[in-house]
Amino acid sequence: MKVSLFITCLGDAIYPRVGEAMVRVLAKYGIALDFPRIQTCCGQPAFNSGYWKEARASALTLLDAFEDSDFVISPSGSCTGMIHHYPKLFEDDPVQRERALKLQAKSYEFAQFLVNVLGVTDVGATFPRKVTYHPSCHGTRLLGVKDEPMALMRHVKGLEFIPLPFAEDCCGFGGTFAVKMADISGAMVTEKADHVKETEAEVLVGLDMACLMNIAGNLRYRNEPVRVMHLAELLAEGANLA
Amino acid sequence: MADIDKSETAHAAWLKEMEAASRAKQETFMNGIAARLRHPRMKEKPAHPYRGALDFWREFEWTEEERIARFADNWRSVGGHVARLSNADEVRDFIAGKAKELGARFVVRQNQAELDALGLEAALPDARISVWNSDPEEHWKARAAEADIGVVAADYAAAYTGSVTVLSAKDKGRSVSLLPTVLMIVIPIERLKTRLGEVLVNFDRAGREQLPAGIHFISGPSRSSDIENDLTIGVHGPGIVYALIVG
Amino acid sequence: MSATGAAHPSVKERAELALNDEFLRKAVKFTTERLRNGKKNASADHGNWDEWRERGRQIRLHTIAHLDYYLNLFVENARANGVHVHFADTGEEAVRISLDIAERKSAKSVVKSKSMVSEELHLNHALETIGVEAIETDLGEYIIQLAGEMPSHIVIPAIHKNRYQIADLLSEVAGERLEADTTVLAGFVRKKLREKFLEADIGMTGCNFAIAETGSMVLFENEGNARMVTTVPKTQITLMGMERIIPSFEDLEVMATLLPRSATGQKLTMYMSGISGPRRSDDADGPDEMHIIIVDNGRSLQLGDPEFQELLNCIRCGACLNACPVYRHIGGHAYGSTYSGPIGAVLTPALNKNIAEWDDIANASSLCGACYEACPVKIPLHEMLIYLRRRKVESGHGNKLEAAGMKGFAVLMANASRLRAILALGKIGQKLVVRKGEIRTKIGPLKGWNSYRVTPSLPRASFRDRWATLDQEIRHGLQELNPEMQRRLENAVKQRQQGGGAGHGGH
Repeated sequence: MKVSLFITCLGDAIYPRVGEAMVRVLAKYGIALDFPRIQTCCGQPAFNSGYWKEARASALTLLDAFEDSDFVISPSGSCTGMIHHYPKLFEDDPVQRERALKLQAKSYEFAQFLVNVLGVTDVGATFPRKVTYHPSCHGTRLLGVKDEPMALMRHVKGLEFIPLPFAEDCCGFGGTFAVKMADISGAMVTEKADHVKETEAEVLVGLDMACLMNIAGNLRYRNEPVRVMHLAELLAEGANLA
Repeated sequence: MADIDKSETAHAAWLKEMEAASRAKQETFMNGIAARLRHPRMKEKPAHPYRGALDFWREFEWTEEERIARFADNWRSVGGHVARLSNADEVRDFIAGKAKELGARFVVRQNQAELDALGLEAALPDARISVWNSDPEEHWKARAAEADIGVVAADYAAAYTGSVTVLSAKDKGRSVSLLPTVLMIVIPIERLKTRLGEVLVNFDRAGREQLPAGIHFISGPSRSSDIENDLTIGVHGPGIVYALIVG
Repeated sequence: MSATGAAHPSVKERAELALNDEFLRKAVKFTTERLRNGKKNASADHGNWDEWRERGRQIRLHTIAHLDYYLNLFVENARANGVHVHFADTGEEAVRISLDIAERKSAKSVVKSKSMVSEELHLNHALETIGVEAIETDLGEYIIQLAGEMPSHIVIPAIHKNRYQIADLLSEVAGERLEADTTVLAGFVRKKLREKFLEADIGMTGCNFAIAETGSMVLFENEGNARMVTTVPKTQITLMGMERIIPSFEDLEVMATLLPRSATGQKLTMYMSGISGPRRSDDADGPDEMHIIIVDNGRSLQLGDPEFQELLNCIRCGACLNACPVYRHIGGHAYGSTYSGPIGAVLTPALNKNIAEWDDIANASSLCGACYEACPVKIPLHEMLIYLRRRKVESGHGNKLEAAGMKGFAVLMANASRLRAILALGKIGQKLVVRKGEIRTKIGPLKGWNSYRVTPSLPRASFRDRWATLDQEIRHGLQELNPEMQRRLENAVKQRQQGGGAGHGGH
C-alpha cells in the first residue's frame, strides 16, 4: 500500500512541522508516508480567481505525483477539496478527467483518513490544556469532515474542549479574497479571533493551516497569547512523537 | 350611464387586443425557452418522479387527540387563542361572551350553515351582525372593514403547521377573515388534519375548474418584525385570532 | 443600476462605508443571527432536512428542465381562470405593460405587496412619472420607500434602519411627532395604509409560486398586506418571474415546508394564499380584473447553461444572506443591486450579463460555502461565483496585474524545482522584513493583509528540504503495519474500485 503525503504549499514552505507531525502520527501505526517530490500546489488560488488554464498547469503536477499512490493524505481540507474540483477543471479533457476522478477517489484529509479509513480515534495522546477548534469551511462543507476531529480530541487525555462560538463562520481567509477585499476579510478574522478569545482557550486547533495562519496572524497582531496548531501537531506532541 | 358603458366596451376591446398580442407572444416566448433548453417544444406532460412530499411523510398521521394538542400548541405559540368546545351552543356562548367582553358593536360572519346554526344573532342583540353577501345592494367590503369581529367556519385545518384554510365563495368573503380587528374561526373537529399536504391534495383532486378564486391558509395573527426585529402583532390583518375547535 | 451604485462604484468602497457604520453592522448581525438560528431550529425540529432539500431541488430541477411545458400550462390555466396574461422579455416591457394597465384603468394609486421583481424593474418610479401614486404596504418596504432606498435584505428589507430613523420618517407622513416605539409606529402604519388599501384602484403583488396545473399564484406573507392587495382593489396586477412555476399543489407542500423555515424559521407564514383568477361573478370581494405579467428580464439566459441554470431554482428565502459571513459584515446595500448577499452576487451579473460588474461583485466572497449549506434547494452558489470569475478572465476582462501574476503562478507551480528555487530566494529576500520570526510591515502587497495580521516568516528549511532526514529516521524504527489496518486499507481500495470510493466526502 502506497500512502502518499500531499504536503500543500503552506505545509511545505511555512509549516513543515505540520507535515512532520502527520508523518510521525501515521508511523506509529506502521505507515511510512511516501513523498513524491514533483508535487507543487493544488492550483486553488488560480482556480478560485478564474484562471483555470493556470490552475490546470499546477494540478497536473499532482496528477503526475500521485499516479500510483493508493492513498493521498493532506493536512488541509481545502487543498484536498480542490482535488474534488479536478474533474470539473479537466471536463474538456477526457484523459486528464479520468485521472482526476481517480485522484479524487483516493484523496483524504488527515483526520478523515485517520478516523474513517484507519479506524483510529485514540492515538494515546495526553494534552492537559483548554482547547478550542475552528472547523474550516472547505473541510466541513466540501468534504464533510465534522465528527472526525471531535472524536480524535475526545480521546486526548486531559484535553478540556471549549466550543468556539459561531464556529462554522468563515475566518475570512478565502485565498485572494483576503487581499482583494482586505477590509471585509479583516472584519471577519477580527470577529473570529474575538470568539477565540471569548473561549479563554489556551490553544486553537484546526485542520487547515491557511485558516489557522489567518487567525493566528490576527491574534499575534493583537498580542493575544493563544497557541495555534494543527490537530496533527497536537496529537504528535501529546503522544510524545514530536 | 351611457358613457360608462362606452368606456367599458372600449376597455373590453383593449383587453381583447392585449389577449391577441399575448397569445402571439406566448408562442415565441415558449419556443425561446425550448430552444434554450435544447429540446423541441414539449407538448406532452413529462413524467414527474419527484411530485409532492417524500413517501414517509405521506404516511405520517397523528391521532385526533394529538392533532388537537399540536394544533393548539402551534396556534398559541404565534400568539393566537384556542378554545376546545363540544357543540354549537358552547361556540355561541363563547363568541357572544368574547363579543360582550370586547364591547363589539359590529360583527360580520360568513353565510355558512355551520354559523347559521349557532344562533349568534339572538345571543348578541346589541351588536349589528352582518351576514356576508346576504343583500346584493350592500357594500360588503365596508361591512367587513368596520367589523370588530369576523366569524368564519374553516374548510380545513392542519395541525402540523397550526394552519386553518378558508375558501372564498359567494357566501364566504375573503374580507371576513381579513379586515375585522378580531377573527373567530370555528373548526369542526373532523376537518382538522395532520399535515398541510392532506389539505393541499384536495385542490389537485378538485382540478382547476372547481377551485375558488381565493384559498387562504391562516396560521395566526397578522405580524411583522420589520422594525428592529421587534415583534408587532396586527399589522394589517386581524391581530386577535381565536381558533374554536368544535366536536 | 442604482443611486447607491453610482455614488460608490465598487463593492469595495460600499463595503468600506458599511464596515464603518456601527449601527448597521450590529443590526445586520443581530437580524441574520435571529433568522439563521430560527432556521436551524426549525429545520432540526422538522427533521430529515437534507431529504427535504433534495426533494425541493428535484422538483425545481424538473420544472425548470421542462419550463416550456409547465409555463405554457400555467398560462392556459390562468387564462381559463379569467386572468389576463402578458409576457415581458425585458424589465422595460414589464413596466410598459403595467403603466398601460394603470392608464387604462385611470388609476390614481396602486397599493403593492412585497415583490422583488417589482424592485428589479424600479416600477414605483415609473408609476410616479405618469402620476400614479405607488404605495408599498409591507411594513419594511413602506419604510424604505419613505426613505427612498432599496431593500437591503430579501426578507427583512429595512434591516438597516433603527426605530429612531423610522420614527422620523413616519412622523413626517403623520405630520406629528410619533414616539419611537414599535407598537406606536406599526399602529400608525396600520391606520394609514388601511385608508390606502380602501381607496386604491390597483393592487400589485409579486408571486412566490405559480401552480401550472391550476393556473393559481401563491403568496406567502405575515402581515396580511398581500391579502389586502389581492382582495380590496378592483384590479390586480401580479408580476411574476418566468421561473416561479411548480407543477401542482402537492409540490407546494414541499415548497411550503422549505420556504418559511428557511426564511424565518416559521412552520408556515401567517398567511399563504392561492389565488386562481379574479373574483367569481357571485363573489362580493376580490378583484374584478386580474393581470399576470410574466417577466424574463435575463432569466432565460440561464436556461441551457449547465453552470447557471440552477440559479432559476431559487425560491427567494434569504437563507444564504443570513448564513453569509460577508453579508453579516457589510449588509445588503454594499452589493449595489436589488438582490444582495450570495444569491445577489451571482444573480445580478447573471441576469445583466454585465461583464464589467462581474469581477467586483463576484469577488466579495470568501467561497466558504455557507450559502450552499443554507440553501433549501441546494444551489451551489459558491461554485457559481468561481464560474463567474472564470468567465470574466476567459472573456479577456481580467485584471492585467492579476493575470500576469497568475501566469507566473502557473510557470512556478508547473515544476517543483522552480518552486523550490523561488522559496530559496524568498528566504533571502524576507531578511529585509522579518523581525523575530514575523513580518509586520504594511508596504507593498502585504498592506491589506498586514493591516489586520502578522505574517509568519519562512522557516529555515521547508518540508521538502527536511524530507530525506525525516524519511530515514521514520523508516529506521518503523514497526510492522498492523493487520487490522492493512485490512482496512485494502477494503477502502476495494470499495473504491467497486465505485463506492467517492463516498468519503464531496457533495
